Amino acid sequence: MTGRVYPPVEFRIEPAHVEAFARALGADPADGVPPTYAAVYALGTTARQLFEDPVAAVDFARLLHREQEFEWQRQPEVGETVTAQGRVTSDVERRGIRFIAFESSVTVGGSPLCRSRAVFVIGGAP
Amino acid sequence: MRELVVEFSREQIAAYAAASGDGNPIHLDDEFARSVGLPGVIAHGMLQMGLLARVAGEPGRLRKLSCRFVGIVRPGDTVTFRGEEANHALQLTAVNQDGQAVLSRAVAELDRAR
Repeated sequence: MTGRVYPPVEFRIEPAHVEAFARALGADPADGVPPTYAAVYALGTTARQLFEDPVAAVDFARLLHREQEFEWQRQPEVGETVTAQGRVTSDVERRGIRFIAFESSVTVGGSPLCRSRAVFVIGGAP
Repeated sequence: MRELVVEFSREQIAAYAAASGDGNPIHLDDEFARSVGLPGVIAHGMLQMGLLARVAGEPGRLRKLSCRFVGIVRPGDTVTFRGEEANHALQLTAVNQDGQAVLSRAVAELDRAR
């Protein structure tokens, strides 16, 4: 699976959605888009493709998110449409535990906005 | 130093599941969570990281945020998130009521230009 690239996904940053997300974190929606809304526009948009990929065969029920890194050129603004593209940078199994490293690049109008690096563990102890 | 103390609840976890689109039943359904070896529903790592970001200061200055999810957080757990700034970087911690770290290697970098 290493090197597998998924098609880019477009996602519009909707005010009502951002507001609900901010409230769930106890943050003030007036402060703008919460940084970890990247979990939605960078990771959620692209990781879904990995999880639904029959070739990747990810056992979603046993999947745990083990590491996450976000890097931003800037924070997005409400109303912007971003393009996110995900790829598997590593997929290895050690002692029955599968480790998938998944990277997503997010651009707006071709300019880089955010990069996400996630590590998922499948079949490990919680 | 910034600090945020949060007692996690099923309601907050469910609200985060709905708002984030991560509806994995390990966060919502105790019976399901137990069937995959968990003690019951657990909070999303990304909910913990979202709270961590709140002690990382002004959102517009945030350029990098990273962490490892090393401990599970259940409803009723109280987690203290702390951030301390030094040289445009923030050392962050998240520790539960038993003194155990739930996040490790938690670091933020801030925009130097401002």
